[in-house]
Formats: sequence, C-alpha cells, structure tokens
Amino acid sequence: MEKRKKAIAFFKELGFEFDIARFDDRLIAQKLVCLLELRGIDLGYSCSLYVRGPYSPDLTQDLYAHTHEFENLETGTRLNTAEKEAADELGRIFGLKPVPLEVGATYGYYSIRQECDPLEASRQVKRLKPFYSEAQIALGISKAKEFLYKPTRRDLEDLKKETGIWQRATLKTLEH
Amino acid sequence: MQNDILSILNESEGLNAKVFSLVRLKLLASLAALGPDGATYRELKAALDINDGVLFANLNVLKDMGYLTSEKITSEGKELELYIITTEGQDEWKRIRIWLCRFLHCGA
Repeated sequence: MEKRKKAIAFFKELGFEFDIARFDDRLIAQKLVCLLELRGIDLGYSCSLYVRGPYSPDLTQDLYAHTHEFENLETGTRLNTAEKEAADELGRIFGLKPVPLEVGATYGYYSIRQECDPLEASRQVKRLKPFYSEAQIALGISKAKEFLYKPTRRDLEDLKKETGIWQRATLKTLEH
Repeated sequence: MQNDILSILNESEGLNAKVFSLVRLKLLASLAALGPDGATYRELKAALDINDGVLFANLNVLKDMGYLTSEKITSEGKELELYIITTEGQDEWKRIRIWLCRFLHCGA
C-alpha cells in the first residue's frame, strides 16, 4: 500500500479539502503530517528541518505527483481507533489553521526530535518564525503541548495537589 | 573518471562560477530541497539569517541566471513573495554537489 493513502485517509478524517494551487493548503498538509509523525503515527513521511521548518520533501513529491488523489481524497485506507482519535484531536486543537499548525509543528520538532527543553524550543521557534507575533507563537506552542503531550498519572496527581488547596477554599466559601 | 586533484579542479570549468558565493549556495541548497513548493522571502530571511539587501540582491541574481522564479502568493490574508527553484537551478545545484563531493573526497 502506498504511504500517501494513509495520509489521504487522515486528510479525509479531518475534512481537509486540499488544493495544490493554494500555498496555505500545501503548508497545512506538511504541518499536519509532521505533527502526526511527532505524535508517533508512522505515515512514512519523515520530517526534517528546512528553511520552512519541519518539512517532508517526500510528501511534496507525492503531493505534486498524485495531486488528483490528494485533491479528491481518494483512498481505500481506513484509520484504526488510535489514528482516528489522533485525527479528531488534531482537528479539534488546531482546526486546520496554518499559523498554529506551523508554530506547533516547529515547537514539537525542537522539543521532541532535538530534545530541547521548553524554553530553548520556544526560543528556536521565535528565531525561525520571527514574522509571527508573540501571541501567535504562544497559542501555537500551547496547542502543540496539548496535542503532543499527554499528562501522566504523576502530572495529574501533582496538579491535584497544587489546585486542591484552592478547591477546598472555594468549597468552604460556598458553605458560608 | 580520474581522481587526481588537477583533473577534479579542471572539471569545475563545467560549473557556473557565479553561483560560488556562500549566500547563493545557501539559497540554492535550501530551495532545491523544497522543489516546486518553494519558500517565501520571509522564511529564507529568517532561517538563513541574511539581511534584506544581500538576500534581495542574490535572489535577483539567481533569478536572472534562470535558476529561480518568483510569484506573489497570499497566506493568511498577507501577500508574500514565493521563490521556487527551476529545472535549470536543480540541474546546476546537482552538478555543484557532485563536484563538491568529488573535491572533498580527494582530500584537497
């Protein structure tokens, strides 16, 4: 099975109507694939850093060589439950918007592939994408964290401890 | 194919000497990897850390040589300039890469 069929299945699940003539659509396609790869879903399109941030030249080649299939969402591949869940989350969190997708994929790449700490990853995003505002970068990073990092049981316990005092105080206030 | 340094140096006569500046090589290498997708001016400027004057002048030289084309595109409502490598640009970059590899392997 050609690898593009799985990528097309994701586009279909996301309701992404790809048009090769639109720059933003080509950008969205690249960043969707990179974010899914960063999340651990193997689409066969490995992403590396280029002047456009995380990017897959193999995907570009397929987008141009099989444009008709991408534009008409032609695929016989069905996503499994985990893949459908990832597609749903990707759509819910990023909503097919180019800027958060681009910022999010870039942050994820530095953070996961290059193992940068959060501060260094943010610094690298700002260096590579200085044309985006602080607010756009903050939003993209927050979305990337939501999509790429699942809180562990330990994280949830720590959060409960941290917020517990406030919750108890609120309940006490309500009693009065 | 001969591997002596003189032969390798002489092979360079088949290359376009005007491409041999660091900025032009960086631009060709960057855009060759992206193929027909290209990159916008602002992406090239940020990623390669080249100032406006130098970047604009060198992009125009590469365009004049027929190695790049440019077009206006709209992204998120903003009009941007997109630069794309041509077939001639890809061919020249391939020739340079092959020659550089041979040059470095010979231990020069």
